[in-house]
Amino acid sequence: MQSIIRVGSNVLVVHKVIERILNLLAFLLTVGRPVTAEEIRTTVAGYEQSTDEAFHRMFERDKDLLRRLGIPVELAPTDGWQVEHGYVVEPSAYALPDPGLTDEERTALWLAAEVVRVGGQVAAPDALFKLGGAPMTASGEPLAASLSGGSESLGLAFAAIAERRHLLFSYRDRRRRIDPYGLVHRRGHWYVVGRDGDKVKVFRMDKAVDVEAGESAEAFVRPEGFRAAEFIPETPWEAGDEEMMARVRFDADMAWWARRQIGNRGELIIAGDGGIEALMPVANPEAFIGWLLSFDDHAELIEPPALRSRLLDRVRGAM
Amino acid sequence: MTSPRTAKRLNRILAMLPWVIEHPGTPVDEVCERFGYTRGELASDLDLVFVCGLPGYGPGDLMVAYIDEDEVVVELADYFANPVRLTPPEALSLLASGMALLSTGQAPDALHSAVEKLQRVVIGDDEEQLVVDLAEPPFVAELRAAAAEHRVVRLVYTALATGKTTSREVEPWLVFATMGNWYVRGHCRFAGSERVFRIDRIRELETTAAKFPAPVVEPIAEIGYVPGEEDVRAVIRLGPRARWVADYYPVEIVKDAQRGLTVRFSASDASVIARLLLRLGSEAVLVDGPEVADRLQELRERILHRYS
Repeated sequence: MQSIIRVGSNVLVVHKVIERILNLLAFLLTVGRPVTAEEIRTTVAGYEQSTDEAFHRMFERDKDLLRRLGIPVELAPTDGWQVEHGYVVEPSAYALPDPGLTDEERTALWLAAEVVRVGGQVAAPDALFKLGGAPMTASGEPLAASLSGGSESLGLAFAAIAERRHLLFSYRDRRRRIDPYGLVHRRGHWYVVGRDGDKVKVFRMDKAVDVEAGESAEAFVRPEGFRAAEFIPETPWEAGDEEMMARVRFDADMAWWARRQIGNRGELIIAGDGGIEALMPVANPEAFIGWLLSFDDHAELIEPPALRSRLLDRVRGAM
Repeated sequence: MTSPRTAKRLNRILAMLPWVIEHPGTPVDEVCERFGYTRGELASDLDLVFVCGLPGYGPGDLMVAYIDEDEVVVELADYFANPVRLTPPEALSLLASGMALLSTGQAPDALHSAVEKLQRVVIGDDEEQLVVDLAEPPFVAELRAAAAEHRVVRLVYTALATGKTTSREVEPWLVFATMGNWYVRGHCRFAGSERVFRIDRIRELETTAAKFPAPVVEPIAEIGYVPGEEDVRAVIRLGPRARWVADYYPVEIVKDAQRGLTVRFSASDASVIARLLLRLGSEAVLVDGPEVADRLQELRERILHRYS
């Protein structure tokens, strides 16, 4: 019996919270000027609390909830002297600009969100509701994809890119402040590409810690037509600072695999026995050697000699 | 912090109201389908809205919201006529999942235009602020189709870890991409059990006319290797640049120290571990595993012979 009463009163509490927040939001959206917490307390229905402390706790929680939903509750001076500050929700900043989606497009977005997990998150319909909702049918498609790596700060980095804010983070024990130009997912990782000092650099998001966005928007100008993806090599051995051409011989029974991996990134000569000889650019010798060794004895690095001896050193290792 | 359920409920109210305001006379069923409501839940939310509004809180200040016959009616609520802006994680998640499917080259046209429209309002027209590239090896499309139609496939597969090539019949259940690679999970008739295959290591594929029954349990989109009784085990110390191994392979962490991460590695074949060790070079040290040490020695000799 008692538990039934408790459930009933919980429902009532939830109703009270939602009513109060709807009243608060309606007020902030229509009042047209910053209003102090005190004015809210005496004006908005639902805040008739006996103690100051209870009111402040409640108001902080409500503000926090609104912000989590994406509602811009800002603090601004209530007058020209800037003595007092109040809260304001700018209707233009609140509203989602209408993207003009059709129902078919909404459904396509929902099905995509259902199939693809971003940063380990399961698709929630909350964002789609904002876009007008869609029938929440399961796709039934035997397909799934996970875009993981750097989940927690991805949203922050994305917002910084869109709003042209600096992005601050620690990376390999150094604090950085970059102009972020783009966020790219490739080869199972999220990367942020941006200007660090006088160079454009690439950072792996899962290795960036204590990520923060700069305070001011429009803090930099993004170079026109910047192509972020070009900075992220498609293979590990293209990600590096060295420059060399390697000549490799792949045996016939592994040629299929080599061709698939090399793609159109090198020059291929097909030998009479079905094997291939490839001339390919290498920027990261260590990664390249690691990759070649995965061919067991079905590949041989022919040139350059220095790289060849490096490979042999690696193989001899601790023999 | 207010409970996530309250947040979700409020979010749905603030999304449903603008829709009804913009589409007066929308039938109850449509609102329910669109926003995932039952009729009772919708009525309960409208009741809440009905008692809220602007200071004064008299009849002209409160919103009007109710179900009239079969239509949803909302009035005096124009300040809620617009949906709330997407949060950055929401926008990223929608765009990235859309782009991921588009990058596979097999998405409907509607997704293409949806991503374009959404991108315009969220990040503007500047290109490549967000790029998602799920490079697809050959056969992904064929396997997707076979899995959807429950058709058995015949494949020639090279397990690169061991170098063994086999031909087998597989009932493909689920095609998935994770950690930068594409996989297919299904029942392998050759092994007589459930298996995961890396799609880029399929050399040849043929979709047969034979059909298979749908899997009883929903297949999971994870590599999820379960070490077996007869597996070879070895203890390896990974240097800082080889720590990724612990994320990628199913290892058991023995010790996490400044000098490196010590893990217990299981594999169906000792040469799997030997190849990995060779690839990692000085970044990994074999602490224990005599069988692996033998395989590693043979591997080294084979390669050195090739170069001699």
